[in-house]
Amino acid sequence: MAWMVRALAGPVLWATLFSGVYALHGLGCARGWQQQPVLWGDLHHMALWALWGAGLAGHVMLVRTMPCDQGIRRWLIVAGAWIGLVSSAFTLFPVTILSTCL
Amino acid sequence: MTDIPPNKAQRALHLHRELDRVWADDPGLRGFFTSVNHGTIGLRFMATAFVFFAIGGVLAMLIRAQLATRKGAFLDSELYNQVFTMHGSIMMFLFAIPLLEGLALWLLPKILGARDMAFPRLSALGYFCYLFGGTTIVLSLVFGVAPDGGWFMYVPLSDKVHTPGVNADVWLLGVTFVEISAMAAAVEITVTILRCRAAHMPLTRMPLMAWYLLGTAAMMLIGFPPLILGSILLELQRAFDWPFFDVSRGGDPLLWQHLFWLFGHPEVYIIFLPAAGALSTIIPVLSRTTILGYGAIVAAILGLVFLSFGLWVHHMFTVGIPHMALAFFSAASALVAVPTAVQIFAWIGTMYGGQVQFRLPMLYIMGFFGTFVLGGLTGVMLAMVPFNWQAHDTAFVTAHLHYVLVGGFVFPMLAAVTWWMPMISGRWRISGLGETAFWLIFIGFHGTFLIMHLTGLLGMPRRVDAYPGNPEWEIPNLISSVFGMVQAMGFALFAFDMVMQWLFGRRSWRNPWHAPTLDWAMPLPAPSYNFASLPTPLHGDANAVLPLAKGQGLLPGAPRGHRETLVVDAASGRPDHVAVLARSTALPVWTAVAIGSFFGLMLAGLYWLAPLGIVATLVMVWRWGAIMGVERDLPPIDVAPGLNLPPHFHKRQTLAYTGCIAFLVADGTVFASLLFAVGFLSVIAPEWPAPGAGYRAVPMLFATAAALLSSAFVVYAARRAEGCRGAPDAAIWTRAGLCASVLALICMCGLAAGLDDPRRHSRDALRAALLGYAAVHGIVATMLALRADRDARTNRLGAERRGAIPAWRLFHQFWLTVTATGVGIVLAQEVL
Repeated sequence: MAWMVRALAGPVLWATLFSGVYALHGLGCARGWQQQPVLWGDLHHMALWALWGAGLAGHVMLVRTMPCDQGIRRWLIVAGAWIGLVSSAFTLFPVTILSTCL
Repeated sequence: MTDIPPNKAQRALHLHRELDRVWADDPGLRGFFTSVNHGTIGLRFMATAFVFFAIGGVLAMLIRAQLATRKGAFLDSELYNQVFTMHGSIMMFLFAIPLLEGLALWLLPKILGARDMAFPRLSALGYFCYLFGGTTIVLSLVFGVAPDGGWFMYVPLSDKVHTPGVNADVWLLGVTFVEISAMAAAVEITVTILRCRAAHMPLTRMPLMAWYLLGTAAMMLIGFPPLILGSILLELQRAFDWPFFDVSRGGDPLLWQHLFWLFGHPEVYIIFLPAAGALSTIIPVLSRTTILGYGAIVAAILGLVFLSFGLWVHHMFTVGIPHMALAFFSAASALVAVPTAVQIFAWIGTMYGGQVQFRLPMLYIMGFFGTFVLGGLTGVMLAMVPFNWQAHDTAFVTAHLHYVLVGGFVFPMLAAVTWWMPMISGRWRISGLGETAFWLIFIGFHGTFLIMHLTGLLGMPRRVDAYPGNPEWEIPNLISSVFGMVQAMGFALFAFDMVMQWLFGRRSWRNPWHAPTLDWAMPLPAPSYNFASLPTPLHGDANAVLPLAKGQGLLPGAPRGHRETLVVDAASGRPDHVAVLARSTALPVWTAVAIGSFFGLMLAGLYWLAPLGIVATLVMVWRWGAIMGVERDLPPIDVAPGLNLPPHFHKRQTLAYTGCIAFLVADGTVFASLLFAVGFLSVIAPEWPAPGAGYRAVPMLFATAAALLSSAFVVYAARRAEGCRGAPDAAIWTRAGLCASVLALICMCGLAAGLDDPRRHSRDALRAALLGYAAVHGIVATMLALRADRDARTNRLGAERRGAIPAWRLFHQFWLTVTATGVGIVLAQEVL
């Protein structure tokens, strides 16, 4: 079942990242992080960017390190890794541009 | 080794008689209550679902009659509220889900090459829970106390203040009762697909239908628990005034919406996936080719299963959530169209590459394309926040959801019914009736709902019973109502066609569609045991009908007089052992009655008697375990020349063990949903922080530590008991574990006594809920400890026989984990 776990890794990471970013978004709004300036932005955006960026880095690692499998199993592993990466990049890209708590 | 030598050929009639004696249901009414055979239970599920569909359809006609004119006097407002609520609830909970469950239960063993589902008694229990729960919900309409708050039962409309009668309780308790069948089916389907396939059928070469059903079952395991939890919390608020959704005491109505739609949106895909499985099965056969892009479709299923859990907030775009969060869910809602489109293009490509035969199932498939694609496109429109704000809660959404659900579920399922009807009835259909029914349904549907988009864009809200001030809505509504009646005639004709086929159709020949899959490698109608011998790689398709009937496959006949089926390794399909399945028994129906007594007492408001229902259920559950072990070692079973496998009593990784893991996945999701509730209310809800905790801190701390220590010791004891199961020491460890388990439960009672009044604030209610959750699992784990102890003392443990110990270990580890997490959460709340 190792190949199945590997094929599910990308989508599972997306689900974890999506839940984490959504939770962090709610927590930051409740704690007023958007009003605490950090560097060129605010604490809320920084925290969201950091989490999203770390998650994307994890996805890229999954895409770049393919196990030696073959046939449809390899195809599913590749597909799973890319599904995760594209999903995380697309569904969470709003953290880059939108205001957080309006 | 995948080249298993064939068994010696035998007389097919002899094998048939031998197997039928073992697998056939009891005759008469007794058979109705005692059957556990997947064929019988699956068909019953489907037949009952269509009865509820007819009831829901009549309610739809009442709605259309009321809305045909501006000042409809057909129904008063109160009754209209009940009618539209019941229409939605029946179609979602009593028709769609049970129909897919029935199809899965009936079909899966046939396409996988097995004799039955993994847990036959669980199938029967699920059916009776569905029958009793569904009947209760429908009867409430007769008595005028039906749910009337919409099929999503939003709070505060459904709380005790705004719905003081039992209407909402009927929904909450009835639907939860019915959902037991959904959870049972989800566990069954998962385990059957993973462990009950034909020998050496790897996951990667399963029929696509099995992939779709595996995705469906996984989604059900994760998707239903949030609603189950939400229903329990709302019922706790209604019955005992625990304020989870009461703003004035730290609750929040939006918590209900989150929990409901965490279930509600995946539900759409739970319904769609099995229907898509039917499409992927039928389209290549009726196109005389093979499916295009098997791997791409499996990847699309994978994507859909996950992405569908990231969309739920698009049902809540107008409740005041910050823009950034809306954008997450808007993007996810748009993205989910991609895997859906991959499947649509794979089906179109398959048809393009083959020669399409426009037989009746293909007509319904064309109906699917013409309907579902439109529903998908309006879905993408609704995924865009600005448009959603305009169209929210209008008839546009009603039209969209009917295009998706009827297009994505009803049309494919009608195709599936017409496809597999020869296998169900053994008869061929009467020409002409089915085609007429299809065109009536298709024209009626689009006549009803296409114009409803316009009605919505003109501003007509959902759930209104009259619109005297809006004459511009009258013509489109009248058109919808007229075509609604046409659609109803179509469905009635479809039902008539099925009955006529069953009663008067000519005998069907074998494999009438020339399909390649294993489900057609059997006589028609399908026998009670499916296969006289089980398929091997040599007999992997529909052409194997004669060798399998002559016993040349695995496990021929029933020489030991048991219901036996092959269990394989989950990934590779390597034969692992032989499972001896349960025979006909009335235990499931009595267990359903016991569970129903609890729900009935709650519904009657006899809360302090309701624990009797729980006790009755525990007694019945105890009886289930009584037949799950043996007192002596059994010899290996001859499966094929040179292949002897042990019976399941001698294995650790049994079907039951895999089932426990699947169940705990769902159970863990309930707990995760409870943690979500804690986090959501702590962060979002008004009236926080909660008033200071007034409990007696030091005794509470001691009780908590004692419970956790005792619980940890039980895990250790279970491990030791399993380690020395063949020696007399095992009984010592099982007894020690049982005593420690009881001690942990007593400590939890001490904890409960020290809690603040749960009615004071939602934080206190959440803590009580966390403790209640842990205590319920403590009772289950203690029962398993007791069962393991009995096994040790009745010679059910041996060198290879483990009795209930593996399940006990598993549940106890889970109990320890959730208890420790709950304690951690409470401590974190206090510290932070």
